[in-house]
Amino acid sequence: MSLAHLRRRRLVSLLAAGVLEGREREETVAHVEACPRCRAEHDALRAVVAAMEADPLRAAEPEVPLAFLVGRVEREVERALVPEGRPRWWLVALPAAAAVLAVAVLVPAIVARLRPAPEAAHAEIPPAEASPLLTEDALARIERNLAREHAVRYLSEAGEVLVSVAATGVDCDRAEERLDVGRAPERSRELLERRTLVVRGGGEAVASARGVLDDVELALREVADLPSCVKRADVEHVRREVEERQLLMRIRLMTRELEG
Amino acid sequence: MQPSQGGAGDRELMGRLAGGDREALAPLMERHYRRLYRIALSYLRQPDDALDVVQEVFVKAYQSASRWDGSAEAGPWLARITVNLAIDRWRRNRRRAQTFTPLAESDHVATLADLGPAPDRRVQGREAGERVAAALRALPERQRAVVVLRHYQDMSLEEIAGTLGMSLGTVKSSLHRALHRMRAGLAGEQP
Repeated sequence: MSLAHLRRRRLVSLLAAGVLEGREREETVAHVEACPRCRAEHDALRAVVAAMEADPLRAAEPEVPLAFLVGRVEREVERALVPEGRPRWWLVALPAAAAVLAVAVLVPAIVARLRPAPEAAHAEIPPAEASPLLTEDALARIERNLAREHAVRYLSEAGEVLVSVAATGVDCDRAEERLDVGRAPERSRELLERRTLVVRGGGEAVASARGVLDDVELALREVADLPSCVKRADVEHVRREVEERQLLMRIRLMTRELEG
Repeated sequence: MQPSQGGAGDRELMGRLAGGDREALAPLMERHYRRLYRIALSYLRQPDDALDVVQEVFVKAYQSASRWDGSAEAGPWLARITVNLAIDRWRRNRRRAQTFTPLAESDHVATLADLGPAPDRRVQGREAGERVAAALRALPERQRAVVVLRHYQDMSLEEIAGTLGMSLGTVKSSLHRALHRMRAGLAGEQP
């Protein structure tokens, strides 16, 4: 096979692929019309291209809404930024600060109660409420912030659990059409145990999150009842619930609001 | 090729991502995720895998935004990441398939069952899809990428060369060889 022939065959392929233009295209079209063998080859390759053009995947739409995908990406980005096992700095700093301030307030008070001071000196010991280090307002603010941080962590983890179920595509029993949801049911049960603390302990600080927390609870209860190898229909049900209630988007908006 | 989505909008969003602004992710995804999903799906033929790839693409885009060349178009850059990640995913799946039971053809039928554009064309489309899927699977990785970008994304040869980092000549040769292999595959011959 000569180099010219190889080049000609390549041009016939490119004509069938619809990528030839100008003079090269005109020359190849003329050649194909004059050469029965080349025309047969061209027609066969056009059939391949036509088969691809009829492929339904060309017009396929993602099976999940954009908001769902954005949620997954943001979670992955977050996870990549915060290596597992290393909490965010404020999760450590805030409780630590609260502990230091509490010690600063309580120690003088305890010392005051324990010290066997002479009666004359008693009046000089300042009462705890009067500590210049921390006012009641400041304490209330710290408590409110901590309650919100708990709610944010709870909602973020709940979102991760729901995404892991809704987005699973791992077969655990192909014959029975069952999918693996891993530790999601177990994590849901753990989260539900924490829910009371978040809602009741949070009080007014998390009042605005009540609606989201209630819907998240319903979804978590459904996941908590699942086995780890679950029917595809049950996964679809959870996915629909999450989508219909727009849970992931609401979780994201609420966590932002709580984080201030 | 779809209408141009590049230009100032993409550049601004990429600039914001490079500065660590995560709010830029959603609008950037809105502009590109359908196209990237179709590239990944055409390559992998599995919706779940394609979604995973799209997710990875945007995570990678966020992480690499600071290294992005501001004068380049974001669209081809994202498409290139998509193709590379789809190839990685394909290799992983192949390794797994060697370890576990390979997917039956009927699984692909089920996966494609809901993707038809209209009910009356579904059966015909599905059959075409199955045959094409098998022929595409038989192609070498890069040839398949060229075919996907040309015949599923309607990219020009120059755009394909830019996206895949290949010379124009290599793209032409790859397309020529790929079409002949697919023809043989669809006809039930050994390529």
